[in-house]
Amino acid sequence: MGDLFAAPRGWLESFGEIVKFSSRVLADVANLKVFKYFGETLRQAGILIISSTLVIWGLVFIIGLQCGIEGAYFDQSTGTPAYAGVFAAWCDLRELVPLCFGYMMAAKVGTGIVAEIGSMRISEEIDALEVMGISGITFLCATRLVASMLVLPFVYLCSIGAGFFASYLAVVQQIGDVSSGGYFLIFWEFQNPPDVLFSLIKAMAMAVVIVLVGCYYGYNASGGPVGVGTATAKSMVFNIVSVHLISMLGTQLFWGTNPRAPIGG
Amino acid sequence: MAFDTPENGSITDFAAAQSVSVDEAAARAEAEATRSGISYLDDPGRPAPPPGATEADYRFHSYKVYPSGARNVVEFDNTYKSFGRNQILRGLTMGLPEGMVSMILGPSGTGKSVCIKHMVGLLYPDSGDVRVQGESVPNMRDDDLFEMRKKFGLLFQDGALFSSMNLYDNVAFPLRQHTEKSEEEIESIVMRRLTEVGLGQSREKLPNELSGGMRKRAGFARALVLEPDILLFDEPDSGLDPVRTALLGELILEIHREMMEEAKAAKKPYLPTFAVVTHDIMSARRVADYINVLWRGRIVEAGPAQEMLNSENPFIRQFLAGDSQGPLTMD
Repeated sequence: MGDLFAAPRGWLESFGEIVKFSSRVLADVANLKVFKYFGETLRQAGILIISSTLVIWGLVFIIGLQCGIEGAYFDQSTGTPAYAGVFAAWCDLRELVPLCFGYMMAAKVGTGIVAEIGSMRISEEIDALEVMGISGITFLCATRLVASMLVLPFVYLCSIGAGFFASYLAVVQQIGDVSSGGYFLIFWEFQNPPDVLFSLIKAMAMAVVIVLVGCYYGYNASGGPVGVGTATAKSMVFNIVSVHLISMLGTQLFWGTNPRAPIGG
Repeated sequence: MAFDTPENGSITDFAAAQSVSVDEAAARAEAEATRSGISYLDDPGRPAPPPGATEADYRFHSYKVYPSGARNVVEFDNTYKSFGRNQILRGLTMGLPEGMVSMILGPSGTGKSVCIKHMVGLLYPDSGDVRVQGESVPNMRDDDLFEMRKKFGLLFQDGALFSSMNLYDNVAFPLRQHTEKSEEEIESIVMRRLTEVGLGQSREKLPNELSGGMRKRAGFARALVLEPDILLFDEPDSGLDPVRTALLGELILEIHREMMEEAKAAKKPYLPTFAVVTHDIMSARRVADYINVLWRGRIVEAGPAQEMLNSENPFIRQFLAGDSQGPLTMD
């Protein structure tokens, strides 16, 4: 009976440790300690822009094409091809762009953070940093979190643009059952500026969790290179589950009670 | 099943022979202790063995500390530390005297590196205390701990250089983070230290382009740039050939001398103290002013190098002579 609860108890313990660690990182941001290392923050922001932006936009572009194609063929089959913009608008902005952003953040940025900080841990670089009187949590984790917050809102807003453009290409240029004007009329009817803000909040919540979880698993890696590999895999599992939970809760919170669909007046 | 080997007949025979030799060595150690008539078990004031151990396990621990004539800048006070069921420090009481090059010697796995990590607050004791310049490390708040660490320079076993930075940036890193010096001043300090350790020509190289010895020397240069009060070396000789080990030892002595002169001229409140963790006896003989010998999580004996080299303690004699005969066996 004891063994039955061992695994859930372990998950709960890990979750508690992650929350505790994250609160230390957030405290370093809140009390502005992190700005002692603003140069490192800017360096991390630069790395994020150079190494992750294109791949995020690329994935979102592909998912935008998919949303467009799916919507266009569905509406074609129901005899309402002019309404393909509904599917594209909701699919892009509310669901799949945030999800794909979260997937790529987890796969590229999150695992990158675990691997980098984990390698520093096992090669005693973090110990060296601490012995120099520099907090590893502030220098390595808080700077990465602030860098993400500086860069990712812009990256995400551009991702939405990439998704919209891809859906337009698929519905209007590729399948062509609806004119450009007709498509945009419906497309913009089914979304408004607060939706963009809500979508951004969803994506940034994912980004914060992914960066913090990556930092936690990297910072606490042990057991040599194998340990870093294990930590990377664990972070990926945790982040993918978190991305879906945040997506579901966000949809429920922002659009659950009011889907803002201009149907029936 | 036995496999034939040219030297030893068969592996089973060889294993049996080895097993006998270990037992014999232990028996010889006992016999030697008896023959020499040395027994510390009846010494008055002798501390009790740690939980789970017997007096016999600590029969070669005289706990004798010969006076160094200097105050201790780092003190361990009855410190215990375990990792799971593995007890590493078992009531360690030890000091590092000010202004000296101290050695912490002892067999592998006896807690030497763990000691270093306790001094800088990377590990905390389960019980007992560790004091640096009179302040208790485990009781420090985080901010005070980071401030205290600025008094330390630490050379890690593999240098622990930041792999994303070149050699110059690695050595300049502490100066950029902790001082308001201009880039010109930083360059002058960094190049002086890199030249001292013989790496003046390698400033642009990344850590993965350096040999193990070069990484150690670079780590040494980085540990020196803030001119710390206490410099710790975690097995600086591991993986180095005997000549490089000797040269590194000379470098340590030379830099210590230099820092002592500077500290005396500047009338600093504390003279520079170096502590070297090693099992290289030759290094100890060449470099040490003071020797702490650690075994089974406690100090066997400690004192100025000359007293220790002349010690009557069978364990100290065996260890400092690097002899296979004596109390220390393979078990």
